[in-house]
Amino acid sequence: MNNELKTIALSGRIDSLNAAETEKQILDDLQGISGVPLVFDMEKLDYISSAGLRVILRLKKQYPDISIINVKPEVYEILEMTGFTEMMTVEKAYRVVSTEGCEEIGRGANGTIYRIDRDNVVKVYNNADALEDIRHEREVAKLALILGIPTAISYDVVRVGESYGSVFELLNARSFSKIIATEPDKLDWCVSEYVKMLKKIHGTVVPEGKLPDMRETVIGWAEFMRPYLPSDAAEKLIGLVNDVPRDDHMIHGDYHTKNLELQGDEVLIIDMDTLAVGNPIFELASMYNSFIGFSEMNHANILKFQGFDFETGTKFWKKSLAAYLGTDSETVIESVEDKARIIGYTRMIRRSIRRGGLDDEERRKEIEHWKGELLELLEKTDSLVFGVSEIEVEADTENLPQVQSFVEEHIAAAECSPKAMMQIGLAVEEIFTNIANYAYAPDKGKAKVRVDVLKDPVAVSITFVDHGVPYDPLAKDDPDLTLSAEDRAIGGLGIFMTKKIMDDIVYEYRDGQNILTLRKNL
Amino acid sequence: MTITKTQNGAALTVKVDGRLDTMTAPQLESVVSSELGGIEKLVFDFADLEYISSAGLRVLLSAQKTMNSQGTMTVKNVNELVSEVFEVTGFTDILTIE
Repeated sequence: MNNELKTIALSGRIDSLNAAETEKQILDDLQGISGVPLVFDMEKLDYISSAGLRVILRLKKQYPDISIINVKPEVYEILEMTGFTEMMTVEKAYRVVSTEGCEEIGRGANGTIYRIDRDNVVKVYNNADALEDIRHEREVAKLALILGIPTAISYDVVRVGESYGSVFELLNARSFSKIIATEPDKLDWCVSEYVKMLKKIHGTVVPEGKLPDMRETVIGWAEFMRPYLPSDAAEKLIGLVNDVPRDDHMIHGDYHTKNLELQGDEVLIIDMDTLAVGNPIFELASMYNSFIGFSEMNHANILKFQGFDFETGTKFWKKSLAAYLGTDSETVIESVEDKARIIGYTRMIRRSIRRGGLDDEERRKEIEHWKGELLELLEKTDSLVFGVSEIEVEADTENLPQVQSFVEEHIAAAECSPKAMMQIGLAVEEIFTNIANYAYAPDKGKAKVRVDVLKDPVAVSITFVDHGVPYDPLAKDDPDLTLSAEDRAIGGLGIFMTKKIMDDIVYEYRDGQNILTLRKNL
Repeated sequence: MTITKTQNGAALTVKVDGRLDTMTAPQLESVVSSELGGIEKLVFDFADLEYISSAGLRVLLSAQKTMNSQGTMTVKNVNELVSEVFEVTGFTDILTIE
């Protein structure tokens, strides 16, 4: 029994013949219970007369918080006529829906989604007592929608066999998994839309306390591992997760291609019950598991789950990660993947052990494999935090320090000399200041800065993008260096200096954007 | 960036430490535009100047223009990076560098 409320089931007929007896039974049942909300479950009640209603009214004096659920249509009519629906919360009985023969279009940690007709889908929850889960999912989906994330919100709760389901309108939508499986030439388009949505989610700040903190959850997973890992490895794992800074940005928590739907030309994200806040590495870990981790030892898993094969899943993951990080650098991509795998393996090991995986020889082998990988990764990893190699800021000189430290962090991997580092810093200052002062003047606008570390030859490339007035800085004449101080103009030096200290500068005006790319060979 | 000024009659030494860039140049600009009255000998000590961008060069150029009409200006103790910036921009020819 739930301690917070008391449920009383009524059945059959309640009228003047048995009202007194029913009242006595209820009072016996409530012996010693006071101050809790009462819920009358009328699922099996066929009729109630005014004698029966008076029983409820008398109880209401002692238990002011009464609600009625699962009301059949004919009983609801009585409650409505007698004004009960205005006196207390009265919920009609849930519509019963069957998913037999329905297409499964999505599957998440907590439930499975079926299409029940052309316009509607139902998410059937695994947990038999799912009303709280449904309420939670509806709340977080509403929150996400208000914060600008395109999603579907359930409009009805139904019974599906012994489980509950929530019904959504999803007109003619197709999941990304299906598109990938049936239209291989659309893979790149899917990657691009998938990453666009991911960035949108990760760029959304969530008001404090509205969503669970994923960091806390993952600390729990790491703590769970303590008895199963050598103590130094366990300590390192817990330390790594603890060192991930708190983050108030949204993460989806189960972001794979079955949860992304194309409806007309609109992309929607569904299955919102795992929504949380946290560092994006936690999301990448769950994505890694969806596309690779869960199928690493048995490639057939992903085919069963997503409808496309392991090779396709791996390709999709790699391309998405590259696009998300804004880099083609294998080194950068692999280093982020390794961080994701640490959390990914931790999660899978915990999950398997909790489901009795140690008692089964096949699964024990799997756990050992994951553990081996995890220990190897822990050995070579010092932080779970990673950087995205592109930032967008207001083009204002105030943001120059932020842009400069962003660039410095990202070229650190290239191990360039302090001198080259300074020169790059200088070029970044000159170009960014130029954009800040002239691109949008007198208005304001954004500037994007992207860093790539290139191999063969080793070089750093920095790209600046703004939507300001078209301006080719390279078209300007170089200042005349032979003039005396008196005759030298004040200004025009920044671009000139940048040209001198960089190895290559390319300007392009495309799609309404100034795109300036600097390259420095190392 | 920190600016330390030492005045001895008509001689002024301005020591600039740290970074002379877009963010900090306005501070030096205000020294150059309002405190050079009556100064005949201006010295910039860059022993602890780590970095200079075109925003800093502009201030030096405007100081040089002022001092051309009222005395001398020298720049001393220039480190390698700052020196390279002077080189590239032709400032080695305009400034008196010790």
